[in-house]
Order: sequence, then C-alpha cells, then structure tokens
Amino acid sequence: MDLFFHYLSMPYLIRGIGFTLAVTGLGLAGGMVVGLVLASMQLSRFPLLAGAARTYSIIFRGTPLILQMVFAYNALPLIGIKLTAIMAGGLALALNEAPFIAEMLRAGVLGVDKGQVTAGQALGMTPRVLMRRIVAPQAVRTMVPALGSESVSALKNSSLASVIAVEELTLRSTQLASSTFDFFSVFFASGLLYLLLTGAISVIQLFVEDAMNLDRTASKSRFARLLPWRRLPAPAEATAPAAAGAPDTATPSAPAPSRDRFAELAAKEVVVRVKGLSKRYGIQTVLDDLDLVVRAGEVVALLGPSGSGKSTLLRCINHLESWDAGQIHVGGNRLGYRPDGQLMTQHDLANERASVGVGMVFQQFNLFGHLTALENVAGPLRWVHGVPAAEADRRARVLLERVGLSHRVDALPRHMSGGQQQRVAIARALAPNPSVLLLDEPTSALDPELVNEVLDVIRRLAVEDGLTMIISTHQLRFADEVADRVVFLSGGSVVEEGPAHEVLTRPRHPLTARFLSVMGADADPGRAPSLPSHPTEP
Amino acid sequence: MRTSHQLANAGGNGLSRRLSRALAAGACLAAVAVAGQAQAAASAVPAECKALQAKYPQFKGKTLVNAINPHTPGYETIDPSDPSKYIGLDIDLGETIGACLGFTVTYKPVAFAALLTTLQSGQADIVISDIYATEERARAADFITYSKVFDGVLVAKGNPKKITGIDNSLCGATAAENTGYVEVPLIQALAPACKAAGKAEPAIQLYDNNANCIQAILSGRADTYINDVNTVDQAVKAYPDKLEKAATLALPYSVGIGVPKGKPEFRDAVMAALTAIQKAGIQTELHKKWAIPIENIEAPRLVMAK
Repeated sequence: MDLFFHYLSMPYLIRGIGFTLAVTGLGLAGGMVVGLVLASMQLSRFPLLAGAARTYSIIFRGTPLILQMVFAYNALPLIGIKLTAIMAGGLALALNEAPFIAEMLRAGVLGVDKGQVTAGQALGMTPRVLMRRIVAPQAVRTMVPALGSESVSALKNSSLASVIAVEELTLRSTQLASSTFDFFSVFFASGLLYLLLTGAISVIQLFVEDAMNLDRTASKSRFARLLPWRRLPAPAEATAPAAAGAPDTATPSAPAPSRDRFAELAAKEVVVRVKGLSKRYGIQTVLDDLDLVVRAGEVVALLGPSGSGKSTLLRCINHLESWDAGQIHVGGNRLGYRPDGQLMTQHDLANERASVGVGMVFQQFNLFGHLTALENVAGPLRWVHGVPAAEADRRARVLLERVGLSHRVDALPRHMSGGQQQRVAIARALAPNPSVLLLDEPTSALDPELVNEVLDVIRRLAVEDGLTMIISTHQLRFADEVADRVVFLSGGSVVEEGPAHEVLTRPRHPLTARFLSVMGADADPGRAPSLPSHPTEP
Repeated sequence: MRTSHQLANAGGNGLSRRLSRALAAGACLAAVAVAGQAQAAASAVPAECKALQAKYPQFKGKTLVNAINPHTPGYETIDPSDPSKYIGLDIDLGETIGACLGFTVTYKPVAFAALLTTLQSGQADIVISDIYATEERARAADFITYSKVFDGVLVAKGNPKKITGIDNSLCGATAAENTGYVEVPLIQALAPACKAAGKAEPAIQLYDNNANCIQAILSGRADTYINDVNTVDQAVKAYPDKLEKAATLALPYSVGIGVPKGKPEFRDAVMAALTAIQKAGIQTELHKKWAIPIENIEAPRLVMAK
C-alpha cells in the first residue's frame, strides 16, 4: 500500500499525464477539425466528395490505431515528413477519431427536424445562418453525450502512443515496472490516474449538458420573471383567454364579400402571378399547367382533395421547391431566378426571399425547438433583416401580444400547445411584414378544440390588416367567412375558382360539388349546421 | 536546459518545426520530458578521442537520438530513484562514445521490436539496447559488436518442469519471450526434435518487454523465460522466493550497437571510439559497475548484411 501511494504521488508518473493529455488533446482537436470536414463532405450535394469522405472513413475506422501510430511515426519520415513522437501520436489519434466524430456530427445535423430547416429557408435564412442559428445549436446539444464518451475513449487510446516513444502514462508505468519490479503497485497507481482523468471528462460532460439544457434556462427565466423589474406575468395570463376569445366578436357574422369588394380588389396590383406552372415527381404529375393571380389584400382559399397540389403550389410560390415549367412572379420578381433567367444560388435565393417578403405558415408549425417564443419571432428579424436587438424584441412582443401569447413569450415550443405553437408561427411569419402570407393547412395538425384559436388569429389578419393571404385548408366554413375567393384544385390544376360564397354554395364543376358534399358542405354554409368545424382528411 | 531546439532537432524538417510551434503546449510538454534525460555520464575519455573528433568533426556538438527498449535492468532502465534518467551499461557506453566523438545523447524509449524500424525511419540515430547482432537484423542496420551473449534460463523456484536450456527439456513447456528476440526462432527450431521424441513442441508466448515476461512466470502462465543472463539474475534478485536461474547458456551471437545503413563515416567513427574505449579499460570498468561479467567483453567487429 505504501508503494502504491509512493507511485501515485510520483512526479515522474504525474508528469506522464501531461503527455497523455497532450496526445489526447491533439487527437480530439484534430479529430474535430477533420471530422467537421468529413461530415460536411458527406452532407454535401456532390457525390464525389461524399464518396471520398466515405473511403477515408472505411480506411481509418477499419484499421487499428496502433498501426496508424506506427505509420505516422515510422513511415511518414520515408516521404520526408518527420514528426515528433507527440505530433505523430496526436496525428494518428486525430485521423482515427475523425470518422467517429464525423458520424456524430452528421447524426446531430440530420437529427434536426427538417421542418425547422424549411421554416428557416422560408424566412429567408441563408444556408450559413441556418447552420449557425438553427441546426448547429440543436445538433450540438444532442452530440454532447456521444462526444463525452468519445473523449474518454480517446484518452484511453492515447496509451497506444507508448509504442512510438511518447512518454505518456502507460509508457512511463511500464518502464517504471521494468526497473523496479513493482508491477502491481505501479499499474494500480497508473490505473487510478487514468480513472481520475476519465472521471474529470465525465464531470465536464455533465456540466456542459447541464449548461445546455434548455429546460434549465427556461426555469431560470421563469425565476427571472419574478424579479421586480420584469413585467408581472399575471396580467398577461388574465388577458390571454380574452384575446383568444375576442375575435369571436370581431368576426363579421355575415361574411359574403360584396360585389364592391370584388371591384375594389380587381383594381389592386397583382402580388402573386403563377403562369403555366407544371411539376412532376417521376411519372406523377403534381402541378399541371396551373395559373393563378392574387391581388393585394386578397384572401384566397385553396381547396381540394389531398394530393391535388395545394401544398406544392404554396411551396413553389416561395421557391422552397423547384418546378419543371412555368413562371411565378411575386411582387413583380421571378423569385429564385437571376435577371438572365439562370437559377440563383441558395444564398442569393435566401436573400431574395427576405427582400420580396413571402411569409409562410406550416401545417406542423415548424418552430425552432431550441428558441423561446420570443426568440422564434425576434431571432430571424435580427439574423435575416438586421433589425437591432431592442427593436426586434419590441416587435416580437407586439406580435405575440396580437396573437394572444404575451404570457408565453419565454416558453419553449415543446412547452406550448399546438394552437399556441401555430400562433407563434404566425407571429414569426408576420414579423418581417411580408407582402403575402402563405398558410399551408394551418389547422390540420391541431386537436379540434385548438383549431378555433388559430382560425381567429388568421381571421383578424384578414379583416383588420387586409393582409394578402393564400390559405390551403379543409375548413369550409372558415373559407366562406374569410376568403374573398376560393380556388379549387384537382390533379394539379385549377378546376374551378370564384367568389368564395358562390363556389362553396353553388359549385359549377362536378369535382368541386363532389368534394364539397364529401366535406359535408352540400348545404348553404352560411346556415349549415352540418359544416365540419374541424379538419377532416378524406 | 535542453528544450525546444532539441525537439526540433528530433523533429527534423521545417514542417514538424512549424507544427511544433503551432502546438506550443504539446511542444513544451515534450521538452519537459526530453530535458534531463541526457546526462553527463562518461567520466574518463581516452586520449585518442581528440584525434577522432578532428577526423570526424561532423558529429561534434550534435545531439543524437538513441532508441532503447528500457526494460532490461543492468543494461537500460529508468533510474528508480530518478525516473527522468536512464541508467545501465548501454547508457554509460553510449554516452562515453558520445563524449569521445563530441555528441550528446537523448533517448527514445520504444518497443523492442520497434528498435530497428525507429532507426530506419530516421527517428533515431543509433541503437544501443542490448540487441544481438544477427545476420537477419543486419539487413536493417549495421552493427558494431561489444559483448558476447550469455543467456540465463529463468524458471519458477524449484524448476518444476526441470528445464535445462534450449533443448529437449523445453518440449511441452511454455516459454515467455519478447517479440523480436533471437531466442524465439531458437526455441521454435526445437519442434522437430520434440516430435521425434514423441513429445509436444514448446509453446511460445510473445510479450512486449521483460516485465511482462517475468510476470508470465510469476503468474504461472509460462514455465520459462530465456534471455540475457544479467536480466535473469536481476529478476531472481527481485523475487528470490519465487524465481531461480536454471542454467546459463552461451549463444552464438554478440551484442551490437546498431547504426543506420549507408552512413559509413558514422559507423567507422563509432567503431573507432568503441575500440579506444575498450583499450583504455573503460568498458571493463563499466561492466564492473553494472555487475556484468568482464569475460563478456568482445573486441569490436562489424556485422553487416552479406
């Protein structure tokens, strides 16, 4: 036991830790850099890059580290690269760690909800901003545990550098054992030193995990809201239900847009013009020579069975999807095309989306999961539009209040109901003052009792703000109340369109009539008790 | 203080120097290790050395790297009372040669099997590590011999398997050896004789260093460890109740200093220095200091690939 403590406190062994840490540090840092390169190669659109990265992984993941160490130390000098033992050990460990770290990075990036990426694109985020603000923060959180255990493994693997004369802990203990014959005391001491090192890594990992825990920051801010200089949450709570309920009275009970309204709208400028739009997935035609004109202040409801092309049309309008033929102009611009007719880069497309101003609301809300309601709205204003932080914050609060969520500004999406999330998503889409708002089945993913709170918000946008909107929906009564025009799609083309009330009550095309009857709209929707009040997917 | 210039020296070309600088933390740590390992060991230097330094001025003031497998007490181990130093006959001999030719020595501790690859790759300049100068090894390096080889047969106390040497007494027994040791092929060569005698052939367990081989006997995994007699004596001294030396054998080899092929001037310089050191009786003193029989001393001779 005395010998054990003698070796445990021996400066010679303890200094060996320095070399162990140096090789481990070089290995992890280098592995992170090479891993980043490998992961981005694998995630890139170029098959050649991905193939090269995969080949690298096969080689360096598939051969023993000890051989790689010997190679870096003894073979590289033959081609004129003579590294010191520590550098050679660090290099081999880095090259060996890289494929493992790359896979963690890749899994982390792929693990981030695709919908959030789409939402970011729709908000005009460039690929770089998307990666930095949306993907990376969420990916890193999921990667911390795996990186922690990879660090422990790298630390232990650094002991293999003993074969290439790095004076690290293992080499020093074997040398000590050889000269003193005190095998067990020496190895128990060095084993304990290793345990202390790996233990320290585990503690660091726990700290990082805790620091990155979103629920922890949420609870902290809950605490912060109790501080005297913060607004009290209570009044907001009290006004919330009122705000949600208020639109009932604000809603015109007798909708039926008048002829005057149509004349008025017809004089307004065109905001969205779709001409001859066609798109196929393989042999399936999704959009077939589709034409559509939407004027400023107009609310258009897209109706039609599932697969009729409603969502695809909306996604084409802000160029989240490409198409095969036809042209789309938004505010006079061909979104996504340079003046010479060539396609833009993703970066330029993002900037144009931001400047043209097409807001989008998704069926699945697609809120940024790591950001509070406030940040979901204010963040894109700062990152995309360069709005100063204070102004972005103020605007976000105003908008959240408008959608009846001033009491939930600090809540994370996962702590909100579907209806609340969708209302935040609407606020987020409105924040940059879009010239047109696209809503893709905004209530289809909601529980029936939450549908109305979202519809109320949209109704008020139409009535109070005169916002130009294109809404794909199955809510016939809502369409009747809010929409100026109904456009009925089937098989990727417009089958029938006209004033909402007219089309809904007196459809001319048999397909429209059949759809409306299936949806329970065979009677006058104005007085029809049979109209569905919640989404019904056929 | 031998610090970063030494590291750069060991590192060689500009690339590694740049990398070393870029990773200053690692480099500093390396320097801590290297510093203090070299020590002024050799006391007396023969008179001829002045003439040798004049004849071979290119080694003067240099720092050369000696690759060693520091697991052989008496020849090369770390100093238990100051582990930052290496001690033993080979260490003293190498530093005396260095003092004679005007260079200082630093050390690279590697696995026994990696001694010659380290030399070949240029990561070391010389190998003085109780390595036997066989013709096979001479394909990887030129050798200058300095000692005859006597092996001891290390067995458990009482020699339960009655092992007497590298002979039929090994049939059916298990020998622990280090990877790359010359004893390995000698033991393997017993197989036909054992078969002829109707016995099982000897089994060999390969380890990385003496410590592991000795452990193999202590833990009962192996019956014998046949290696340099001095190493065996040291093990017996450390575990007088558990180990004993069953026999001493003369092997048809010599211990040699390995130098890179294709550097005849360095080889000749080392040989000349060694000759002078032997003539002046310094090697005899060193053998006495490390309790290695002086009968082992052998006049320097070149062992090179044919």
